[in-house]
Amino acid sequence: MNDEIIIGIDLGTTHSLVGVVDSGFPIVLANEKGERLLPSCVTWPIGRDPLVGTEAMRARALAPARTVASIKRFMGRTFADLSIEERSEPPYRLVPGSRGEILVALDEKTLVSPEEVSAFILARLKETAEAALEMPVSRAVVTVPAYFNHSQREATRRAAELAGLTVERILNEPTAAALAYGLDRLGESATVAVYDLGGGTFDLSVLQLREGFFEVIATAGDTRLGGDDLDLALARFLAGELDLGVLSEPEEATLRMRAREAKEALSSEERVVVRLPFFRGESSYEVEITRERFEKLALPLIERTGPICRRAFAEAAEKGAAAVEKLILVGGSTRIPLVRTKLKEWLGLEPDLSQHPDEAVALGAAIQAGMLCGRVRQILLVDVTPLSLGIETFGGLMNVIIPRNSTIPVKAGELFTNAVDGQASMAIRVLQGERELAKDNWLLGEVTLPFTPGPKSSARVGVQFAINRDGILEVLARDTATGEDHVLEIRDAAVDVEDEAVERMISESIDYAFDDMNERIWTEAKFKSEELLPAVAGALEWVGDRLEEDERSAITTAAKRVREILEAETHDAAALKKANAALDEATQTLAALLVEAAFEG
Amino acid sequence: MTNPFAILGLPESLLLDPAAIETSWREHHRESEAASAGDASDHNRARALLSDPISCLAAWLEVKAPAIAPDRSIPPALMDLFAKIGPVLARTDALLARHRQATTALARALLTKDCITAQLEVQALLQEIQPVKATFLDRFAAFEKAAEHEDFAAAAAALGPLKFLKKWEEQCRERLLALIAT
Repeated sequence: MNDEIIIGIDLGTTHSLVGVVDSGFPIVLANEKGERLLPSCVTWPIGRDPLVGTEAMRARALAPARTVASIKRFMGRTFADLSIEERSEPPYRLVPGSRGEILVALDEKTLVSPEEVSAFILARLKETAEAALEMPVSRAVVTVPAYFNHSQREATRRAAELAGLTVERILNEPTAAALAYGLDRLGESATVAVYDLGGGTFDLSVLQLREGFFEVIATAGDTRLGGDDLDLALARFLAGELDLGVLSEPEEATLRMRAREAKEALSSEERVVVRLPFFRGESSYEVEITRERFEKLALPLIERTGPICRRAFAEAAEKGAAAVEKLILVGGSTRIPLVRTKLKEWLGLEPDLSQHPDEAVALGAAIQAGMLCGRVRQILLVDVTPLSLGIETFGGLMNVIIPRNSTIPVKAGELFTNAVDGQASMAIRVLQGERELAKDNWLLGEVTLPFTPGPKSSARVGVQFAINRDGILEVLARDTATGEDHVLEIRDAAVDVEDEAVERMISESIDYAFDDMNERIWTEAKFKSEELLPAVAGALEWVGDRLEEDERSAITTAAKRVREILEAETHDAAALKKANAALDEATQTLAALLVEAAFEG
Repeated sequence: MTNPFAILGLPESLLLDPAAIETSWREHHRESEAASAGDASDHNRARALLSDPISCLAAWLEVKAPAIAPDRSIPPALMDLFAKIGPVLARTDALLARHRQATTALARALLTKDCITAQLEVQALLQEIQPVKATFLDRFAAFEKAAEHEDFAAAAAALGPLKFLKKWEEQCRERLLALIAT
C-alpha cells in the first residue's frame, strides 16, 4: 500500500470541493469555517493578496472587473473560439494573449490566465486538505467534464501543477459521480445514466457495470451550457421587468447574484421576491417571480439537453448496452424541478435522488484517489474519449484516426503519403471534433515533417495517436524511410496566430471595445432578427390558427417592435437584442406547436 | 499493428464469439491493471478491431496473407447504392448546417418536419446497406474454409466492398444520431 495520500478534487464552474478516503469511506473535507463548497471565485483587491472562495464572492458586486468567477468556461480555449456574447458575458474583461489564448485583464497592466485563476482555487483546496489531514498533500485526482477536449484537460493539469499538485489521474465527472453512487447498490450487471448539469457545462454519460468492470459506453454533451446561463436569463428578465436600462458592471454583478439566489430558492418555493436595496443610488427595487415564470425562462435552455440525452441513449443502445435502469443527477442545476419533470418525460425514468448533487463528483474523485493509493478496493474503471481525433487530409477534410467513444487508453495510427510530385514535407494538423471539414473542428496543434522529395505516393509517413487514461493525446509522426520520429507536443489550446491577427484581436478587444461593441452586437442581433421575422411569418401561416388570440397578438406586437428598431436610423443594439429576446419568448408556444404539427405529418 | 488475435490470446478466426472477445479482453485488462505495466491501449485496440467484423477481416488478412493488397475502388455492384447515398448525405448535411445556424427556437422548430423526413430517408438507406453487408458477412465461414487451402482471394475481394459499406453505414449512423439530437 502506498501511504502517501492522494486527494480527490472537483474543480467546478461555480463551486469546487476536495475529498479523501478516510477509514475506507470517501468524505468531503471542510475548511476552517466548516464550509465544504468553495465558490470557484478569485478576487484581486488593489494592494492586497488575492482572496479566494466566499470572500471573493462577496467582492463581486464591489469590484466585478477584478473578481473572476466561472473561469472553467474559458479553460483551454482560444480567444478566437469565443462568441461575441461569451466575450461580453463576464463582468470581468477578457483579452487575447500573444498566442491567441484567453487572458483576464484585471486592469490595464495586470493579466491573468484561466489556469492561474484555477490554480488559486486548487491551492486553496490543497490548503483545506492539508489543514484537515494535518499533513502535506502533493498528489491529486482532478475531475473534468466528460466533454472536455484535449486542450481543456491539459489546461486543468497545468493549473494543478501551478498549485503545487501532481495530477495522478484526470477523471471524467460523470464517471466520478457513478463511482460515488456506489457500486454496492447496483447488482452484478447494471446500466446507469449520469445527467450532469453543472454551472457551465452539461454532459450525459451511459455507464455499464459488468463482471467487475465499470465501463463508460457513450457520452455526449455541450461544453457551453449550464446553470450560469439560467442565472443570466433570469437576470436579463429581471432587468427588463424593472426597466433598469443599461446596467453598470457592479449593478450587473449584483443582479446576477440575486438572480442566482432566486433561482435556487425557486427549486423549493413557488414564488420569491427579488430585492435590490439601494441598487442605483438611493433607488431600491423589488419584483416577485414565480416558479412558473422562471420555468418558462429556463425551458429553452433545459430543452437543449433533451436531444443530447437521446443521442447518448441511442449510441449506447447501438453498442449493445442493456436498457438504462438508473438515472443519477449531478450538478446544482438538477435541483430545478423542471429538469426532473423533463427527464421523466423524455427518458421515462424516475431520477435517483439519493446522491447529493453537489458532492457526488468530489466523492467519486476521492474514491478514485483512494484506489490509486491503495486505500480502497480496486474497481476497474474503463472510460472513453468523448471526441474523435484525426488529422487534416487533402481537400481540407478531417480524417478520423481515433473515433469518439473509443475505450481509453488507446493507440491508433495510419500511413499517409505525398499527394504531389516533388513534395518535400507534410504538414500534420491534429484535429479534434465530429465535423467532416477540418476547419470546423478544433485544431490542437501542427507539425511539419520533412522528407526526401520524390514522385507522388513515394513518401510514407506513419502517424500514431495515443490517448492516455487522462484523455490526453500524444502524436508521433514517423518518416518510414528514415525512421525519423517527430513527437508533436500538444500542450496548449492556443496555436501560433499571425502577429497581425493577434494585434487585430487585441485592438478589437481593448482599444476599440466601446466604439465597436455596439456595432458588433447590432450585427449579431440583426442577423437574429432576420432569422426570426420570416420564421414568425411562416409559422403563423402554418399553425397560427391553433394559437389563442392573446398569444397571437403578443407575437405580432413583438415582431412589430423588432421591425421598428431594425428600420430606425440609429443602430440601437441593446434595444434590438431586447426586442429579439421578447419575440423569441413570445414565440415559445408557436415553436412547440410547429414541432407538434411536424410529428402529426 | 501487432496481431490483435495474439494480443487477446484468441484464435486467428473470422468467426469469433463476441462473448469470448469480451471475456478475454477483461482478463487481459485486469492483469495489466494489476501489474500496472501491461499496455491496456493494445488490449483496447485489439478488442475494438476484433469486435467489428470488417476490421476483424482486415486484421485476419493482414496476419494470414500480408502480401495481398485490398482493392480500393467501389465495386460496380455497389455503384447504385453509392449513387443513392451521396445525395441523401449531402441533403442531410445541408439541413444539419441550417439547424446549427438557427439561433432561435422558432427557426429550429420550422426545420422539424425536414428533420423527420431526413431521418426516415437515412433510416431507409441503412436498411438498404445492412442486407448487402450481411451477404458478405455470411461468407466468412467460406473464407475460413478457403484459407485452409491458402486461398484468400475471395476474402480479399470482399474487404474493399465491406470497407465501403462500413463507411457508408457509419456516415448514415452519424447523420441519424445528429438528426436525433436536433
